[in-house]
Amino acid sequence: MRSLAHVGVGVTVSVVDVPGADPVSLRLLEMGLTPGVNVAVVAAAPLGDPLELELRGYRLSIRRREAALVTVAT
Amino acid sequence: MTEPAGRERPLTVALVGNPNTGKSTLFTALAGIPTRIGNYPGVTVEEKVGRFSHCGRPIDLIDLPGAYSLRAQSPDEQVVSDVLGGRMAGVPRPDCIVAVVDATNLARNLFLASQALELGLPTVVALTLSDVAAERGIGIDVEALARRLGCAVVPVVAPTRVGIEALGDRLLSAPEALPPRPPDLAPHRAAIDGSRPASARDAIARYAWIDTVVAEVVQQAAPPRRRLADTIDRVLTHRVWGTLAFALVMLALFTSIFRLAAPAMDLISAGIDSVSAWAESILPAGPLRSLFVNGVLAGVGGVVVFVPQIALLFLFVATLEGCGYLARAAFLMDRLLAGVGLSGKSFIPLLSSFACAIPGIMAARTIENRRDRLLTILVAPLMSCSARLPVYLLFCGAFVPDIAVGVSWLRLPAVVLVAMYALGVVVAAAVAFVLSRTVFRGPPQPFVMELPGWRWPQPAVVLERVREAAWSFLTNAGTLILAMSIVLWALGSYPKPVFPDAPALAEAERQGEALRQSFLGRAGRVIEPVVKPLGWDWRLGCAALASFPAREVVLGTLGVIYNLGDVDPGEEEGATLLVRRLKAATWDGTTRKVFTLPVALSLMVFFALCAQCASTLVIIGKETGSWVWPVVTFTYMTALAWLAACATFQFGTALGW
Repeated sequence: MRSLAHVGVGVTVSVVDVPGADPVSLRLLEMGLTPGVNVAVVAAAPLGDPLELELRGYRLSIRRREAALVTVAT
Repeated sequence: MTEPAGRERPLTVALVGNPNTGKSTLFTALAGIPTRIGNYPGVTVEEKVGRFSHCGRPIDLIDLPGAYSLRAQSPDEQVVSDVLGGRMAGVPRPDCIVAVVDATNLARNLFLASQALELGLPTVVALTLSDVAAERGIGIDVEALARRLGCAVVPVVAPTRVGIEALGDRLLSAPEALPPRPPDLAPHRAAIDGSRPASARDAIARYAWIDTVVAEVVQQAAPPRRRLADTIDRVLTHRVWGTLAFALVMLALFTSIFRLAAPAMDLISAGIDSVSAWAESILPAGPLRSLFVNGVLAGVGGVVVFVPQIALLFLFVATLEGCGYLARAAFLMDRLLAGVGLSGKSFIPLLSSFACAIPGIMAARTIENRRDRLLTILVAPLMSCSARLPVYLLFCGAFVPDIAVGVSWLRLPAVVLVAMYALGVVVAAAVAFVLSRTVFRGPPQPFVMELPGWRWPQPAVVLERVREAAWSFLTNAGTLILAMSIVLWALGSYPKPVFPDAPALAEAERQGEALRQSFLGRAGRVIEPVVKPLGWDWRLGCAALASFPAREVVLGTLGVIYNLGDVDPGEEEGATLLVRRLKAATWDGTTRKVFTLPVALSLMVFFALCAQCASTLVIIGKETGSWVWPVVTFTYMTALAWLAACATFQFGTALGW
C-alpha cells in the first residue's frame, strides 16, 4: 500500500482509503476519492506539481501534498 | 389593492449545483439578466437574484454559488448551506430547490444533489449538458433516475432552451408534490468502520449509494473513443506545449488590455476633454467652473477611462473560464506561486495588474479560497501598472545617463526601466511570502480543483460577466472615486491665493503660486522633513501628495508646481519643456539642483512601490468588504516605498552617482 503522491504519470490505481480526519481528507472523499474507485494520474504540471487525476469520469487537480493523504493499492 | 393571499407572493427558488455545471447558463435561460446583485450580509459572497414569471406566477430565482458539499468548507459553501436551511438573514427560506446535475459527470454531481434531497424541500433536478452527454455516448435513463431520487428530473440544454419550459412547469407544481425521498444511506454506512468521523462515513456511504444509482441509470456506450477534448487537454497541460500555449494566451491577454483598450480609453479622454472645453466656454470663470471642470469632470473621466480595460479583461477571463482554460492556467502556474504562499489561481489577477490593478483585483473573484484571494489582492497593486509607465519614462529619459551597459545596444535607461518592473514583482513575492507565514499563517491551504471539461463558452454568460464587472465598477467605485477627486480639487484650490502687487504674473506662474498657497501646498511644506531623506524638496512632496488619486497626476502636478501650467504626459513637446524645467529646478533659495540621478531613482522607486491610487484602494475596500484592507495596503505600501526610496537615495548619494 502506498500513497497517490508516488504514483507515476499514466498509471491507474485503485483507492484504498483517505484515512485522515482533517478537512482536506474529507474534501477528497467528497470529491469522489472513496475506497475502491479507480484513479488515473493523467499528468503532472510542468514543475512537477500539482497532479492531474481522472476519476469517476472527470478531471481533478490536487497537489502532491494532498495526494499523500490518499492510500492506493498497486 | 387586494392581493389574493398566497397567489401573487413570488415563489422563491434556489439554484444549487457544483461549479462548472452550466448553472450560470441555466440561470440566464430561466431568469435573464439578474434583477438584484449584492453581497450576503457580513460576507463577500455575491447574492444574485433574478425575477421572472412563469404562467403568470412571479418566481424569484436565487443563483447560489457553486458548491461541492453542503458540509461547508468555504464562505461560498456556507452561504449555500445557510440559504437552503433558511438561516440567512434577509433571505426567505426557498419554497423549492433546483438541483443542477451535470449529465456528463453524474456521480460527483449527485453527491451535492443527494444532500439537497435530505433538506425536506420540494426539489427538481435539472439535468444539464444532456446533449454533450449524448454525444459522448452516455445514456441516462431519466425515469429511473427520477424514481431513485424520488423527485422530478428534467433534462435541459440551456443555451438552446430545450427543457426550460418543462422545468418552469415543474417548479410551479413542485410545492404541491410530495417531498423528495432522502437517499437511504443506512445500509452503506453500516459497512464502514464506526470509529471514523461521521462526516467521512457519510461521504463514503453516499458514494456507495451513488454507485448503485449510477449502475442502474447510466448506460455507457462501448468504451468511449479517445475524445478530441482529451487531445486538447494533453497538449495544453503538456510540459513544453502547454507552457508555450500558456505564454501565448497570456501575451494575448496582456497585450489586449494594454493595447486594444487604448483607442477606447483615448476616445473617452477626448470626450471628457471636449466636454471640459465646452463647459469652460459656457460657464463663467470662477469656483463653479473650476469645481465642475477640475473636480467633477476630471473625477468622472478618471473613473470612466478604466471601463474599457475592465470590460476587455473580463471578456477574456469569462471566455477562458467558460471554455475551461482558466483552471488549466492555474494548474500550470500553481507550483511557481505556491513557493511564495499564493496559488495558481492568483496568476491572472497578478498578470492583469501590470495593465491596471483595478481589473486585476476584480479578477481575483475567480479565487474561491478566501486567504489566497486576500493575499492576491494585497500584493496586486505592487505590479507596475500602466499609470507608472509615464513616470518611469520621464525620469529614465531625463535623468538616467544614456550609457551602454556591457553591450552597446543595451542602454542604462532601458535597464533601469526593466529594473522598476522587476522591483514590483520581487517585492510582491517577498510580501506574499512574509504575509503567508505571519499574518495569514495557518494550516496549508489545500489545492483541490476540478479541471472542467472543454466546451464552448456561452456568449450570454460571458457578456453578462462583462456587463456585471463594468457596472459594479462604475456604481461602487465610481461614486467614491468622484468624491475623492472633488476633495483633492478643493485642497489644491483653497484657500484662494493672495498675489503680492508684483508685476503681472504669467498664467503658469499664477497657477504655481496658487498651488503653493493652497492647503495642498502647505501640507507639502509640512511634510518636507519626512521627504528630505528621500532627497526631495517640499514641492516634490506636494506632488506626491497630490498624486494620491492617481499616480499619473504627478506629471501634471510637477508641471504646475514648477510653474509650467498643466503638462499633458502624452505630449512630446510639453514633456520636453517639463524636463527642461525640472532640470533647472533648484532648492528654495539656493543654486543646488533638486533633480539628480539619486533623486530621480528614489522618486521612481517610490512610485513603483507606493499605493498612490485612490481607485485601487476603493476597489480593495469593495472587493474585500472591509475598510481594514485598503488601510493595510496603503500603510504597508507607503512604508515600503518610503524605505526603499530612502535607501536608494542614500545609497546612490554615498556612491557619488
